[in-house]
Amino acid sequence: MFLSKADFAVHYTKITGNKIKGFNHMQGTAFTNTSLTAESLPSLVELEFQPISAIYRQSNLIINVAFTLFLVTLLFVIQQQNIWPLSNDVADLFNWLMLVLFMLGGFNTLYAAFADKQKFYALRQQDLSYRSGLLFRKTVSQPMLRIQHVELKRGPIDRKVGLAKLQVFSAGGAMHTFEIPGLPLASAESIRQFILDHKDVNRHG
Amino acid sequence: MDKSVAAFTPVVENSKDWQRISPIALLFFTERLIKFFASNLVAFLPALYFGYDGLKENPQLGLAIIVGILLFICLTTFLNYYFFQYRLTQDHIEIRSGVLSKKYINLPFSKIQNVKLEQPIYYRPFNYTCLQLDTAGSAKQEAQIVALKVDFAEQLKKEILAQHSITHHAENPDDSAELTPDAVENEIILNTRSITDLVIHGITNNRIWIFLGGLAPFFDNIASYIVSTFSDFGINIEQLLTFSDKPMWQITLYAVTLTFLILLPFIFFSIAGAVITFYHYTLSKVGDRYIRRSGLLTKYEVSMRLSRLQMVIRQQDWLDLLLKRINLKFEQANNVLTQHQAGAQNNRIIVPSIFAHQCAALVDDVYPNNQMMTIAYQRISKRFLLRNLVFILLPLYSLVAVFFTVTGKTQLLWGITPLAIFAALLIFMRWYRWGYASDDNYIYIRRGFFGVDYLCFEHYKVQQVKFKQSWFQQRHQLCSISVVLAAGAINLPFIKADKGSAMLDEVLYQVESSGKSWM
Repeated sequence: MFLSKADFAVHYTKITGNKIKGFNHMQGTAFTNTSLTAESLPSLVELEFQPISAIYRQSNLIINVAFTLFLVTLLFVIQQQNIWPLSNDVADLFNWLMLVLFMLGGFNTLYAAFADKQKFYALRQQDLSYRSGLLFRKTVSQPMLRIQHVELKRGPIDRKVGLAKLQVFSAGGAMHTFEIPGLPLASAESIRQFILDHKDVNRHG
Repeated sequence: MDKSVAAFTPVVENSKDWQRISPIALLFFTERLIKFFASNLVAFLPALYFGYDGLKENPQLGLAIIVGILLFICLTTFLNYYFFQYRLTQDHIEIRSGVLSKKYINLPFSKIQNVKLEQPIYYRPFNYTCLQLDTAGSAKQEAQIVALKVDFAEQLKKEILAQHSITHHAENPDDSAELTPDAVENEIILNTRSITDLVIHGITNNRIWIFLGGLAPFFDNIASYIVSTFSDFGINIEQLLTFSDKPMWQITLYAVTLTFLILLPFIFFSIAGAVITFYHYTLSKVGDRYIRRSGLLTKYEVSMRLSRLQMVIRQQDWLDLLLKRINLKFEQANNVLTQHQAGAQNNRIIVPSIFAHQCAALVDDVYPNNQMMTIAYQRISKRFLLRNLVFILLPLYSLVAVFFTVTGKTQLLWGITPLAIFAALLIFMRWYRWGYASDDNYIYIRRGFFGVDYLCFEHYKVQQVKFKQSWFQQRHQLCSISVVLAAGAINLPFIKADKGSAMLDEVLYQVESSGKSWM
């Protein structure tokens, strides 16, 4: 599927209901920011962020709870079984282990539940941004021009619930690869296509 | 441009068939094999250890093993040499190598980003060199021709670079003004370094790691040797270091003397390291290409197109500040390059221990109209001090102090109090140094502790930007920003939130609107 940028903007808006900020729907590929003064530069402060899918939050919550319970249950079963009985000391230790695991898992679940609500992305004509973090809020902005390549990643759970992760690679190195999780497959694919269709990526990639 | 191709074609046509390199390469392969063994020494140690007793009883076996190893080295070396072949066809270089796992590389000249000549010491009498070819992409595609006559290698290099500039111009016809074949020929020497400079560089910059890396397996032996040597002279180190029965001044004197004793060889090795790396240093310029040549044992040559320069770092440690010397670094994209060479050092162009006016001239040469040293730097917020001193250092110190007091080890407080004061001083200096500024073309960052570094880069080289804000920072309208270049990320903490976001907006605007490539 190769769409022109203008076609894509329409397509993207149709699928996700979001407009691409800064995209001039009338003129298509022309860069629209040429003669601006510093005060009126397009600003990151005014980014219109889209939340990631609510399904991601829910599935994440379920996975976290299930994983914690699974580990605690596993320990419990090992503790209670009579096939290889544990010595009393070890059995006591298991009580503590279960408690610690339960608390860690609970904390992690709680944190993730709130942190997932703070994950947003914003697509503009020239760059892609991702905001995350509960206590330390971080916004990463990646100009399309500097993207080396993009990948869609879908684990088994992502496939089950129809989501995808979008990974964006730049020449900044592996440390600074960023990943937008929990995108509905259709919007992930159309964002990827938007990046690929960006004429400058084709020229420099 | 056609002329330049015509001028260079004879060399290319000379070598249509697969060619073997000079037998001198046997030395190169031997060295590589020995290096391989040395770096995997740890793996052989158990075998050596367990075999040692057996060998003592049976010396003939040891002889057989040594002969076996020598034979193995000879055979592998010869096979490596035998199977190494290269061929130059029109605008392509092909290399076949490998004994068991065969490797074949086909590189079009136009894809070659960087040509390096490396001349190990044993090549020098015979006038041979090792030609290394870097491509922009991954480290896997990097190729080297192990032994070529220097003249031929130079010629080939010129040819490849000329080819590169031609295709480069074909893609960007607008900037073809400068690079005529004449420009390719003319090499201007920008800087050379004398032995004195290198000695100063050795003192101010610890290059000890060059030696430590090689000595690492023998640390234990060296330590025990030193201890036994001292006891031969009637000095018992262990006894000396038992503090309890000695007055304070004596301990201090010991400490100072010991520090000097330890430092002295370190400084000596550091100087030796600097001389080995930077002997006969020249930095020169051919067209838009900067070339660094240096080396006592192995002669290195690193070259960089101006367009590949990501960032300039003007570095001064505290000793450099006292001696008024500067280390200047031209940073290239390093995330690709660090993978295939242990000494990533070799891939950046560093100009060691130069004076301020030389540094200014070089920086002006690569970045015209820069204001690195004249622009007014804006300091980061004082809340950086508050956060680190009051919210991190103080609680940590109090906690440890209380712990020591409760457990009755009050004398340890003498140890940690100076430590805490030093840490506080470091934090203060960090804040004092950290500054930023920008003009139409460049962003400038100043940072350091007791020394000071100035970083300068062009807006459009940025790969990615990050805007970070903690809840605490948000309350005080502060933020931390991070700018990712191909040469690494640069952080700027605790600046005004509006300034931070304005800076990032400006960066994004320049990256996105200029359409310039970062390479």
